[in-house]
Amino acid sequence: MIEYVFILPVIAGLLAMFLPSMLGRGILIITAFFHLQLSLMGWFGKLSPTFVNFFRITPEGMLVLLVTSFIFALISIYAVAYVSETGLANERIFICCLLLFLGTMSMVALSDHPIVLWIAIEATTLVSAPLIFIKRSKEALEATWKYVLICSVGIALALLGCFFITLSMDIGNINTPFSFSSLNQVARHLDPLWLKAGFVFVIIGFGTKMGLAPMHTWLPDAHSQAPSTVSALLSGALLNCAFLGIYKVHILMNFAGLGAFSSNVLIAFGLFSVLVAGIFILNQPDYKRMLAYSSIENMGVIAFGIGIGGIAAFGAILHMIHHSLLKSSLFLSSGNILLGFGTKLVPKVGNMAKLFPKTFVSFFAGFAGISGFPPFGIFISEVLIIIGAFKSGRYAAVGILIFGLVLVFAGASRIVMDISFGHSSQEVLVKEKFFRVMPSIVLLLSSFALCIWMPDSIYQKILHTIQTIGGSFHG
Amino acid sequence: MLHIIDAVLVTILLSVLLSLGSNRLKALVEIMVLQGVAVSVVPLLLEYHSEIRQGGIIFFQIMILIKGVLIPGLLYMALKKIAIKREVEPIVGYHASLLTGLVLIMVSIVVTERLHLTLPAGRELLLSTAITTLAAGLFLMMSRRKAITQVIGYLMLENGIYLIGTALTKQSHTLYVVEFGVLLDLLVGVMIMGIIIHNIKDAFDDVDTTFLGSLKD
Repeated sequence: MIEYVFILPVIAGLLAMFLPSMLGRGILIITAFFHLQLSLMGWFGKLSPTFVNFFRITPEGMLVLLVTSFIFALISIYAVAYVSETGLANERIFICCLLLFLGTMSMVALSDHPIVLWIAIEATTLVSAPLIFIKRSKEALEATWKYVLICSVGIALALLGCFFITLSMDIGNINTPFSFSSLNQVARHLDPLWLKAGFVFVIIGFGTKMGLAPMHTWLPDAHSQAPSTVSALLSGALLNCAFLGIYKVHILMNFAGLGAFSSNVLIAFGLFSVLVAGIFILNQPDYKRMLAYSSIENMGVIAFGIGIGGIAAFGAILHMIHHSLLKSSLFLSSGNILLGFGTKLVPKVGNMAKLFPKTFVSFFAGFAGISGFPPFGIFISEVLIIIGAFKSGRYAAVGILIFGLVLVFAGASRIVMDISFGHSSQEVLVKEKFFRVMPSIVLLLSSFALCIWMPDSIYQKILHTIQTIGGSFHG
Repeated sequence: MLHIIDAVLVTILLSVLLSLGSNRLKALVEIMVLQGVAVSVVPLLLEYHSEIRQGGIIFFQIMILIKGVLIPGLLYMALKKIAIKREVEPIVGYHASLLTGLVLIMVSIVVTERLHLTLPAGRELLLSTAITTLAAGLFLMMSRRKAITQVIGYLMLENGIYLIGTALTKQSHTLYVVEFGVLLDLLVGVMIMGIIIHNIKDAFDDVDTTFLGSLKD
């Protein structure tokens, strides 16, 4: 009964809506840790799906689920500390939507039926919209409107893509249940033209949600206006879920012998995203927007790595895990900065090294990690992706990728230096607290730990994940 | 020979043209009632190889209820709250929009011919209608300023996608649970958009999306 993984948060969320907010906080943390336990049980194969037509345990799904669950458990601690300090006006809606968000994301990770996957991804948009709007400012309103409208239209196009895949089944005269696992078995008989059309629509649709340029326009607004806990979830968990949707169709394309086509599309979108992020990050006056553009860049790197395949695919999945850990840590730290200084504008904040020493450590280390410095995992994953791209002889593509990465580093390092050591005229509003620093430190440490000692089960899961697209560690 | 399905499809096409030419928001919502009901009955009128399974009929009734009553009802409530009657100064004028609608119909007929699909008899018009509805929905979203008209455009886009699904695939109407999920998403989506529109009205005293331009790089 692996479905319990998404049923539990949904029920808990609805309960939290109607109970007093103090109880709601308890429910949030308990559910988060129960969810982590359930995900671990699913990871070790102790649970199996009941509704086999719709859900299935896949290695890629379990990776996304475990990452989501782990991040959510830590973020829930931060969230409770955050709401109890700031006294959020709509606390019950906040906690309810957080839990529903966890539920819908878990559903994405388990979906095997393309339309169920679509329903779950659209549902993540709908339950996270109130979270972005929770502060009720004019800017938050604008960000929410853009988020809901752009993502809904994008995801609607993905539905069209799903219909094209069904059409390719009908033309190929195939009579299997409509699910990824059974489609993969008969992929060779699907009509290639309509399958390609389906993939293009799916990557445009779910790519909107994943933040691939040029469909990324909602992302910086939503990430900068949402409370930092929500930004951390959006960036660390939601983008992976959208990526999972694309990845599943990419696997199908590989089984159908159209892997070269889908790989090239992924590489093109990936490179374009990295470049766009690099250009917009250069003169960014807002540090949360800077982090948002960095997410776009990293999603681009992941799409690029998956498109290259081979050892780069291993790097891409590793990149996904470490990006989630580091970026959610960074967003949590940025939440402390925002609480402390009361502004998101870089010129107004500064001297964090003296004023907020603990947040400074986590923010600066997170920045080093996300820029690809050892001892954090992004270093390894980016090296693997670049080696993979060299091996497959795509020299021009690697050149563009590295140029983009340098741009992002240049833009981000200026901002981080300004915040950390620059002059500050702002007064400190709220001091840093243990429970708002600990989660981001733990996230950083887990990225560090995974870097020096990767458990064999994670290594095997990644290998199983990329096997289907022809990737391996030695390829 | 006259088929009922053709009459329904022509109704949908007319509703698309009407929505492009109309500037009264209340009329737009009423058009969406007509379109929603018409879109929901299309699969019932198609010739099926087999009868509609048990549970299917309940699904179609729920669908008519959601597309024809609940969603327009939500829109109507939003409209009442914001107390704005007309779309003023659209980005593309009404006559130009109508002309675009006609061009879209022509283009979609050409596209349908070009696809060389071996569709069951009578589905060519369905596919053309579907593509027109989808494209017109997108056009409506881009050419109007009021938030509520953009939501109506989004609904038309969804209607178009649903019709394409109906036209192209034989299998799309076998799992009602899944279809119901899609509908539920749509319903909740419109509800949330309605709430946001209400808040836009509160914050800016208008639902013009040109006010929503402070976040950019």
